[in-house]
Amino acid sequence: MSAFRALWKKELLLEFRQKHALAGIAMYVLATVFVCYLSLERIESEQVWGGLMWITGLFTAFNAMQKTFQQEGGGTQLYLYSLTSPRKIMLAKSLYNALLVAVLNVVSLFFFLLFFGDEMLGKTDFYQLFSGLILGSSGLGITLTFVSGLSYKSGAGVGLVAILGFPVIIPLLITIVRFTTGAMIGLSWLENGLNLLVLLILNGSALLLSLLLFPYLWRE
Amino acid sequence: MKTWLKIVCIALLAYTVISSLWHPLAPGGLTVDIEKIQPGPNTFTFTGYNTHFVDDKASLQVFVASGSTYFCAKVDEVIDNNHVKVTAILPDTLPSKDISFYSNTNTDGTVYIQKPIDSRSFAFVDGFVSSVACSPKVTNDEHQNFGYPFQVIIFESIRNLMWHVPMWFTMFALMLISFIQSIKILNQAGREAKADVAMDFSKIKLFDTKAASSAGTGLVFCILGLITGSIWARFTWGDWWTNDPQLNGAMVVFLMYVAYFILRNSVNDEEKKARLAAIFNIFAFILLVVLLMVMPRFAEGLHPGKSGNPAFSSYDLDSSLRMVFYPACAGFILLGIWLYNLNFRIKRLEQENENND
Repeated sequence: MSAFRALWKKELLLEFRQKHALAGIAMYVLATVFVCYLSLERIESEQVWGGLMWITGLFTAFNAMQKTFQQEGGGTQLYLYSLTSPRKIMLAKSLYNALLVAVLNVVSLFFFLLFFGDEMLGKTDFYQLFSGLILGSSGLGITLTFVSGLSYKSGAGVGLVAILGFPVIIPLLITIVRFTTGAMIGLSWLENGLNLLVLLILNGSALLLSLLLFPYLWRE
Repeated sequence: MKTWLKIVCIALLAYTVISSLWHPLAPGGLTVDIEKIQPGPNTFTFTGYNTHFVDDKASLQVFVASGSTYFCAKVDEVIDNNHVKVTAILPDTLPSKDISFYSNTNTDGTVYIQKPIDSRSFAFVDGFVSSVACSPKVTNDEHQNFGYPFQVIIFESIRNLMWHVPMWFTMFALMLISFIQSIKILNQAGREAKADVAMDFSKIKLFDTKAASSAGTGLVFCILGLITGSIWARFTWGDWWTNDPQLNGAMVVFLMYVAYFILRNSVNDEEKKARLAAIFNIFAFILLVVLLMVMPRFAEGLHPGKSGNPAFSSYDLDSSLRMVFYPACAGFILLGIWLYNLNFRIKRLEQENENND
């Protein structure tokens, strides 16, 4: 457990030492939402809102995840590997990135409210909206951490994250847009439950698979 | 692959080609050229498909049904085997608004047409018994005489069942082989890392070549499945692509395996290539199962197999279809494995060539 805490602390420290990177991602979120605003001016359906929000979330997550392995050189990884098990490292990294994406999505939701107003949110069940936000973000964070590890190891650079990541993330994206739209048009938990279940299954299986496969990925 | 398996494969595929293209469609009703029915005489032409109105003129009967009450029509003129002109005399009052048109011959059995029709001129009384009603011969099992089931909207394209569906089964079988080989790669890599001996990559390379050649062959069948499906969708649903979970899932599967090959080609080190590709392949196969077999069952869509139904029940897969469908599946899976074998051997020979140079 202490290893886990130390790894978390390391991720946080790295993040805040590179404040320009964090600020860059926040700026990216703001710019994306602003571009959405300039091109649409107003959103008239819940589905468009949900779709735009998660497309923004997807690209933000891609941007934030790309550096997750790149920023610590091979030396750091070798050092960490000698200290603790790769599964712990992966778990810490996945959960940290899930949290990071969640925070970024809350920021993006704030910007959406700022630009588009709250007229679409009249019927929204906010508990559902936020649980969707958490589950969608964690799914994005976990899956993209794994994919970015894969593309980092391949040595082919950042471009491969998008090529490998997009097809893998589509099922999650479809479900989370559907869930968010459902929450916004005021479906009850029961009516929206199937999407929630699929989200949980996708999250769980992504975490399980990345923990199962990461030890093989890690080795040089 | 064993020679006898190749012969079985060719025989099954020949049987599939011949029977899926030449076996006729069962008779059915296409249309009637009447928009509004009224009390008294109604003259219209009944158009059938693969029917035998001329050949079996003696037993030909055409009738209009209102619910379960039938009104026989007088045959004015049998134009050809598929067209007959009739006059039906209807009373002022009908028992049901549910109007359909029937024809019956001994050869074809009973075929019927249901279409929205304007029946405002009638009064409707539930359970009304008409004096002009008749009781014609009706056989319910109209498909059983011969031919593939006649289904409105699908029509002749039902033959595509023997091509489109086996493509996906074959793709699944090949991706399963690829998945198993990928697990073997990781297993072997793990074992070699533990045993502190000089590494021997020949086994990993063998598994990797197998995984890549079966995934490559599977990708070809995936493309064929997408093409046959797209043509079918155009014919039955009106669009080359519709927003349906099964179709979108299939597209994602295609993209994933393309990404698999991009990943393979972007790594130079042989052992690392095998390991990374295997990791992604395992991820991709599990998503394939989720996308094509789990998620479509939870969502609404046009593609058969929705809402917990197995994919065929809605097709009414009857014995005439089954007799070709199962051999077709077996034949295409054998063909897939045969192609995978060839693909694998070509790759091995290329590798040997490189080593000799």
